[in-house]
Amino acid sequence: MKWHTSFSIIILTALMLSSAVFSKGYVGIFVFSLIINATMAISYDIPGRSLGLISLGHAVFFGLGAYCFGIAISIGLSFFPAFILSVILSFVVALTVTLLMAGLNHGYYSLATLGILIIFQRLFETLESITGGSAGLYIPETISKLHCHLLAACLLLVTIACHVFFSRSRWGLYSKETEASEEAAETIGIPTRTVKILCLMTAAIPACMAGALHLARNSHVSPASGFSLTLSITALLASRVVPVKGILGPLLGVLFITTAEEVIWTKFEGFNHAWFGLILVGAALYQGIDFKRRNRISTTAENPLSR
Amino acid sequence: MLAVGLSLAFGIMGVLNLAHGSLAVLAAILYKKSLVFYPFSPWTFCVLATPVFLGLGFFLHLIIAAPFRKLSLSTGVVASLIASLGVALILEDLFVWWQGWEPISTYIIFPTFNLMGLKIPGLRAILLGMAVVTIGLSTLFLKKTDLGRSMRALAQDRETASLCGINPGVTSMGAMGLATILAGLAGIFYSSLYPLGPREGLDLTLKALFIVVAGGMGNLRGPAIAGLVLGFIESFAGVLFTYTSTDTVVYSLLVVYLVLKRCGRRQ
Repeated sequence: MKWHTSFSIIILTALMLSSAVFSKGYVGIFVFSLIINATMAISYDIPGRSLGLISLGHAVFFGLGAYCFGIAISIGLSFFPAFILSVILSFVVALTVTLLMAGLNHGYYSLATLGILIIFQRLFETLESITGGSAGLYIPETISKLHCHLLAACLLLVTIACHVFFSRSRWGLYSKETEASEEAAETIGIPTRTVKILCLMTAAIPACMAGALHLARNSHVSPASGFSLTLSITALLASRVVPVKGILGPLLGVLFITTAEEVIWTKFEGFNHAWFGLILVGAALYQGIDFKRRNRISTTAENPLSR
Repeated sequence: MLAVGLSLAFGIMGVLNLAHGSLAVLAAILYKKSLVFYPFSPWTFCVLATPVFLGLGFFLHLIIAAPFRKLSLSTGVVASLIASLGVALILEDLFVWWQGWEPISTYIIFPTFNLMGLKIPGLRAILLGMAVVTIGLSTLFLKKTDLGRSMRALAQDRETASLCGINPGVTSMGAMGLATILAGLAGIFYSSLYPLGPREGLDLTLKALFIVVAGGMGNLRGPAIAGLVLGFIESFAGVLFTYTSTDTVVYSLLVVYLVLKRCGRRQ
């Protein structure tokens, strides 16, 4: 077994155990945020890593899941029917969004996802009679916190399984080829649009479910917290900030970002966006420095005289 | 003016600068703070702010453009997008810390004048005239000066321009400086007419991006016309629906436009 796989298993086991042990109080909330953020980051990593698409609106699916679940609960359904209905509703909306987005690439995709996030935020603020407006939606407790934690832990495992299976399947290879050159991929017969849709939907569904579980645990969601740019950036950063192969990168990223977020919230109140900003600038600059370093290494390797 | 600056930054450097609107907010805050010391008129402050924003543009170039110059277009755009989003978030928190949540307004009372029976608000007319003059001067700068011509050459073909002896680093730094000045001036004009929230920078940037995408990257005329069209759309959406739904309409149009054009599909 490779070292990063063993390390991932250790972190996951620790997360699973702590989710069962700590279901109440501040530690319970922190562990739950870790699991939800890990689900978001790993689901984000599916298109992020294989297609190289940077989404600034991954939280759209999270918010959709939460609101669909909340609306289903407020019409009188119990937890499981509401959860299933929310997944179906979110699936339909997520598919529509994904079908729209699949034609876009690179910076335009990022821009459009940010636009979609703001559209949903404003739309759910305006539809006051259904969504509760800017104050948000409050629901009664439908299942115990412990059950919520266990379901979230299961969702994380399923998301990791999806990540691993997708990256090892032929669709994963197709998506890598699509990222390298869409035209070349089409020439050799890869259905690039289908690959993108499949990849984006594999990322969207776990995010929707995470949203529903988040609402079930915390009983409240608002347009600002559901369709949150900060949540999208957390997922983006967590999947990028630690350059390690497999799911270890996003897992370590989530541990680092969520802990940093908690410290910032408690110690540097009012500067949480600024800290996120600093990490974003650092991550982007690292990308530039890393490219130059790799370029220098390959130039040295190609030119024996430069050794 | 915001869109014209953004268009310059993207056309010449391939930078989608999400901190552009925050620079406008910064200019508005600086103007408001300066009013405590001396009652500057917007146009006097524009002249004073120009060198400050030029310097700020050079500094910003070192963070969001220069490190990604050698990356491929797609990777470079994404990296600059992430870095500029980071800068925007940092600036927003600093604005709230410095200024508080109170909207920034530098509105000044100005007489309304009559033109053939039409009542025209003086301040709006002067600011419109100044915006037209600024865009005109920028166009002249791009067309008639050596640096402006180098910028246009770089926007058309980076490699060929470099082969002809144009220094891409210095030229893009100049473009970033010009784009930042335009953002600063836009912020001063905007806050003279409407209150501007300390966290409105990203909203302003996105609207400007809509104008740039619709009007075409790297030119000045297209964004200026698209800006006018967006203004009309916002006004009509406010009348037809509710005032709060104007953003939804504008962003929906942005997404629909991007999807219909399938932007970026072939790079």
